[in-house]
Amino acid sequence: MKFDCIIIGGGISGLTAGIRCVKEGLHTAIISSGMSALHFSSGSIDVLGYINNKVVYKPFEALDTLTGTIAQHPYAKCGKALIVEALQFFKQECETQNVYLFDNENLNHFHVTALGTLKPTYFSQRSVFNEDVYNRFKSMKKIVIVNFEGYRDFHPQLAAAQLSKHALFANCEIIAKSIDMPQLQDLTRHPHEYRSIDIARIFENEENVYRIADAIRLAAEGADFVVIPAFMGIHNFNQIHNILQSRTRLLIYEIPTLPPSILGLRIDNALKSRFAQLGGVYIAGDKVVRAESSNDVVQAVYTANHPENPLEAKFYILSTGSFFSGGMISEFNNMYEPVFKLKLHYEPERNKWYSPQFFYSNSHPFLEYGVVTDENLRPYDSKNNIIQNVYCSGAILAHYNPIREGCGSGVAISTAYKAANQIISLYKLMR
Amino acid sequence: MIKLENISFDHCIKCTVCTIYCPVARVTHLYPGPKQSGPDTERLRIKNPQLLDISLKYCSNCKRCEIACPSDVKIADIIQTAKWRYSKKEFRIRDFLLSRTDLMGTFGTIFSPIVNFFTHLGIVKYFLDLVFQIPKGRTFPNYASMTFRKWFKEARKYQNKYLEKVVYFHGCYVNYNYPQLGKDVVKVLNALGKGVIITKEKCCGVPLIANGYIKKAQSHGRHNIRVLSRALPHEQARIVSASSSCSLALKHEYPNLLELDNTPIANNIAYITQYVLEEFEKGNIPNLKPLKYTVAYHSPCHLERMGNVAFTIELLRKIPGLTVKILHSECCGISGTYGFKNEYYAISQAVGSELFKIIEEASPDFVVTDCETCKWQIEMNTKYTVVHPISLLAEAIE
Ligand SMILES: Cc1cc2nc3c(=O)[nH]c(=O)nc-3n(C[C@H](O)[C@H](O)[C@H](O)COP(=O)(O)OP(=O)(O)OC[C@H]3O[C@@H](n4cnc5c(N)ncnc54)[C@H](O)[C@@H]3O)c2cc1C
Ligand code: SF4
Ligand code: SF4
Repeated sequence: MKFDCIIIGGGISGLTAGIRCVKEGLHTAIISSGMSALHFSSGSIDVLGYINNKVVYKPFEALDTLTGTIAQHPYAKCGKALIVEALQFFKQECETQNVYLFDNENLNHFHVTALGTLKPTYFSQRSVFNEDVYNRFKSMKKIVIVNFEGYRDFHPQLAAAQLSKHALFANCEIIAKSIDMPQLQDLTRHPHEYRSIDIARIFENEENVYRIADAIRLAAEGADFVVIPAFMGIHNFNQIHNILQSRTRLLIYEIPTLPPSILGLRIDNALKSRFAQLGGVYIAGDKVVRAESSNDVVQAVYTANHPENPLEAKFYILSTGSFFSGGMISEFNNMYEPVFKLKLHYEPERNKWYSPQFFYSNSHPFLEYGVVTDENLRPYDSKNNIIQNVYCSGAILAHYNPIREGCGSGVAISTAYKAANQIISLYKLMR
Repeated sequence: MIKLENISFDHCIKCTVCTIYCPVARVTHLYPGPKQSGPDTERLRIKNPQLLDISLKYCSNCKRCEIACPSDVKIADIIQTAKWRYSKKEFRIRDFLLSRTDLMGTFGTIFSPIVNFFTHLGIVKYFLDLVFQIPKGRTFPNYASMTFRKWFKEARKYQNKYLEKVVYFHGCYVNYNYPQLGKDVVKVLNALGKGVIITKEKCCGVPLIANGYIKKAQSHGRHNIRVLSRALPHEQARIVSASSSCSLALKHEYPNLLELDNTPIANNIAYITQYVLEEFEKGNIPNLKPLKYTVAYHSPCHLERMGNVAFTIELLRKIPGLTVKILHSECCGISGTYGFKNEYYAISQAVGSELFKIIEEASPDFVVTDCETCKWQIEMNTKYTVVHPISLLAEAIE
């Protein structure tokens, strides 16, 4: 098959690049071997949360500090104007699928994690960050954290204890409640085996939503707002949120759950639907295993299911993620990028890959390992030559640390946008 | 003794992503989902087969879990293998008959008017339900009055005028129920300048595997590998099939599930739309007249698992005048013989309901899909006719 652009990897980065390319009229395919990191993420988009272990409030101002110290940082290659544009693009595309992202007028805001910690982030979904919560924040007296009986991946007491340590909640009463819903237990053989996805499906049935709303109202007496794990459905979440809030007359706020993350799934769904709606070709469950090139130009790639059948394109974007998703492979004493065998930035000695403590404040060095690229995000092959028609984006890139800097999705979106931009302008020149 | 041939369960990181995408786990809590029935309990089963959890019989083998898994765990294969390796086989006349597509087909086509008449009769359905546990609500595909093979006896005569030949694995459905699709395949291949060869094939084995007749499936598999490889006119020649499940069986299930060596044919097998698209891309395009339809395309699970959906979509886009709406990927629920059994009928219908809804919303002229059982399920549950992409292409060929 022949395309204008083939994107390898269908995470947040590959999908953003894909949407941008099809929108500009390029015949675009995404090939993705398994589901992406969005299924594990909070569903909030971090742009820049920390510098030197300090919380960042104004991410765009802090960008200069960051790129000033790390010249190779992917953000440095994108530039501030492009990052702003990319984020707006992303927000608008999500909106076409009814996923509304709120920013705090260019400031970071905090969202609550399942452990009750506060994390700075840039975009959150409507049920997670909104003006109402923000405005009522200071005058808040009572918060109720609710869990559902049988869901074992969340501990509201723990979250409540952790939250009340935070200065922002100093004058606030935080209590934990559990809702027992006998009608839901009929639905399962093992009531103790609920996963986020099971409960989200229970929410998706409108009849249940009214019953749940009544149970929440009972549990939340006198509270200013109610926190529940993010269960409000994968598809009709806006409607469910509206019903819950109007029936209880309470502010209801979702917090991300342990994987699978319902909030992340909503974004995944939105981006995939958008890509398909625009005419993009999404090839799921197949893995790119090798490439064919001549004179630093990639001619074709081959997949596990079709080892003999070339998929050809004028341009390629590699957004296969980091070690976790198979974008890079680590062996006992070496690392490699399996598709194009690209040049990587990493320490050859294994004992330098990680820090001795698991929760080390400076995070682990391996998170910064990845593909080395030029200013335009083009990678180098093993002979140190730039591959002319390949661009890299997202977690596969080197020289940034998504955990320490709190910038995972921001980098994924910005670099995808930049890579797509380069391809689009070259494509237009060629025509 | 611990058998260690599929240790992919060891790569499972317990992320539950597979369970999100399992259509059966979505609609029934009787099924704990692929993670639990697959990698989780495989650990126990290999130690002690008595720890078999019988709920795994609910798996319909759609393979959506394998597409979703980020760690490459062969979840559905683990479950399928466990079903026949560890569970006690009880003989059921219904399962026997449902899996003998060739036997039933021979009978059905000989007496087609009578069989078709009876399978549509309310009282017979009541009887099927009572005696065979085949759901009353289920409609049956009709049997054709003349098999594809019989028709091909005539067509074979003019295949020799083509220099290049393609081996066509037609499958039971084309032979007994829907010869028109086979005729369309021959028309398309001939229009590309290729002669068609058919072999003395047996049923690919998919319904046998689903019903636990593994030995029988293996013997069919061995036979098919032998006759197909012998029929190949030269090393690079292609074996095409227009059934997504037959292709999946020949290509993947033979080695992965039935432990058969299919290397003599593995690299020659191409699902039909892939083959035709390859020819188109070489510039071998017959004259096509515009078809002014709006169609909704449904991607069958097994075609997705093979990574072949894109070929079909690309091919449809090459038909002038055609507007293709790509439906959000959903399982139709029938899963071969699964939807023909009382104990799964409600589940199968519930799984399909999402798809039926989005088909209605798309309101096309008709639905296009590659799989015969998807066709039955969609035609039974929506007001739309379902057409195979190759039949559509055949219509466009002047
Ligand atoms: C547990 C976790 C939680 C996180 N939480 C947050 C958060 O709350 N907020 C935030 O902003 N960021 C978060 N991040 C970071 C952020 O999610 C990632 O940086 C970002 O999602 C990376 O996206 P990506 O598209 O580059 O890669 P991925 O999402 O990893 O996607 C890569 C895709 O490529 C596919 N692939 C790999 N190899 C091949 C191949 N050879 N052929 C075909 N396909 C292939 C994979 O199957 C995968 O689907 C989190 C990350 C993790 C791991
Ligand atoms: S998706 Fe794969 S890794 Fe995740 S739980 Fe299922 S089998 Fe395990
Ligand atoms: S094959 Fe289909 S039905 Fe079976 S476990 Fe996997 S997703 Fe579920």
